[in-house]
Amino acid sequence: MQQPSSDHVTIGILALQGAFAEHQVMLQKLSLKKRVIIVLVRQQEDLDKCDALIIPGGESTTIALLARLAGLLEPMREFLKTKPVWGTCAGAILLARWVENAKKGGQELLEGVSVAVARNGFGSQVESFEAPLEVDGLREPNRPFPGIFIRAPVVLALRPAPADPPIQIISRVSASLLPAGQTVVSPDEDDTDPRDPRTIVALRQGMHLLTTFHPELTKDDRFHEYFVKECVLPTLGSRSSSPA
Amino acid sequence: MTTPTQPQTPASTPPVPHGVGNPGGTPVVAPTRSKDKDGAASGSLGTFGVKSGLAQMLKGGVIMDVVNAEQARIAEEAGACAVMALERVPADIRATGGVARMSDPSMIKQIVDAVTIPVMAKVRIGHFVEAQILQAIGIDYIDESEVLTPADEEHHINKHAFKIPFVCGARNLGEALRRISEGAAFIRTKGEAGTGNVVEAVRHQRSVMSEIRKASVMSEEELYSYAKEIQAPYHLLKETARLKRLPVVNFAAGGIATPADAALMMQLGCDGVFVGSGIFHSDNPAKRARAIVQSVTHYNNPKILAEISEDLGPAMVGLTIDDNLKGGRLAGRGW
Repeated sequence: MQQPSSDHVTIGILALQGAFAEHQVMLQKLSLKKRVIIVLVRQQEDLDKCDALIIPGGESTTIALLARLAGLLEPMREFLKTKPVWGTCAGAILLARWVENAKKGGQELLEGVSVAVARNGFGSQVESFEAPLEVDGLREPNRPFPGIFIRAPVVLALRPAPADPPIQIISRVSASLLPAGQTVVSPDEDDTDPRDPRTIVALRQGMHLLTTFHPELTKDDRFHEYFVKECVLPTLGSRSSSPA
Repeated sequence: MTTPTQPQTPASTPPVPHGVGNPGGTPVVAPTRSKDKDGAASGSLGTFGVKSGLAQMLKGGVIMDVVNAEQARIAEEAGACAVMALERVPADIRATGGVARMSDPSMIKQIVDAVTIPVMAKVRIGHFVEAQILQAIGIDYIDESEVLTPADEEHHINKHAFKIPFVCGARNLGEALRRISEGAAFIRTKGEAGTGNVVEAVRHQRSVMSEIRKASVMSEEELYSYAKEIQAPYHLLKETARLKRLPVVNFAAGGIATPADAALMMQLGCDGVFVGSGIFHSDNPAKRARAIVQSVTHYNNPKILAEISEDLGPAMVGLTIDDNLKGGRLAGRGW
């Protein structure tokens, strides 16, 4: 743990509930120039060691409650301001600024990415699905990435404030996979209508990454590699500067 | 009696759901089954990947038995990662006796409407029509459970034939692997439901783990013979031996009543915990539920466990498990 900061990077995985072990296995298998040290984050002292954080899939209501009880909500909100965070599925909900279909009485969010999402946007487990995805910026971009969507959230809107970093869309699903009956914007002849935000399944805002599906459940490490190389490593030199 | 309507799907090895040990390194673009079924555009519904994937999302969490919408809300507020909808909790099934069946669909639907977390419900062992009904309602998981009165004393449900995933109970490795070969995407210990006594859950978890440890050092020849001995499919036994754990998520169930019970099961290698009667048969359900949720996260931290175990009020009244146990031993059901 006490290595000089130049030869390793410390990535935390929020380990309160959900599929955190799967992220750990994926990170362990990455072969990068820098050594990746993994910390399972359950308390603030764990978070303080980290250069970046992954919030795994699980139940967003459960994770939020456990984070509050462990005194992690405010520290994570502070963390987001200077260090990269990647949320998958439930983690993406926690990272969002607004949520629909929250539990009765509302639920707590970290509000790190300027998007609105709907929980369980595709429906119940019977509607959970797998679909190959085209993703911008991954190694071997022509090979589709296996998208596994489990009671997945849907992106409803991108609402960056003027001062926020721009949002970059990195993957969409076909509009025909969206739940029928409720169209946000009428789709045009293009299958992946750039105006319908609900087709967005992966996006970046500044150094933060948000995916509504589960790269950690696949055997494909390209998303984990992308997060470390594109989101985390570029921030290491400029620790004290603001996100961008 | 025959089982007419279920399409026969050849048993195939479920993909390893843990992201562990991916020898080939090939991406799982194609699901193992139902690739051609109901696939809207390029999406595939009900694959083993999404079935076992949901169980993976429940890991490190607590699934609570609830009998109405109000209890379901208490469970959700307390941090349950899912709820199990049923008409009577196991302790009441023991007390009142009679045939225990699938719950009224309207009651299950009220619970689905009340919460945003996944909702599970129980069907009788072998009762595939109850399972068809639950799939039609659109709940998230089915428990083919020994807690209800079995409908078939020879056959379990062919769970591959469903889009909805199943969890099943097991007392040992052979039973667990038989259930997985029938299509279960999620295993739990049977324990002894409705007793508030954790001893049977401990027995079952210890037996699964010790059999896995034994298998993990066996040669191929020994594995063939061991597969026969424990009546498990060879390919699943071999996969388990290689992974040194069950190839699907494994929860504790049956008799868990306190945060310490839950943490005990986690330290014995479970991925999460079902709590049945233990919550709503205790004096302060909301507080106990929350404490058990925290104990599953911090199961390795005795200091936190001590804090959360304080002032929970009386736990449910426990039963000793002997031949006079009211309602009998449920764990012996299933084959």
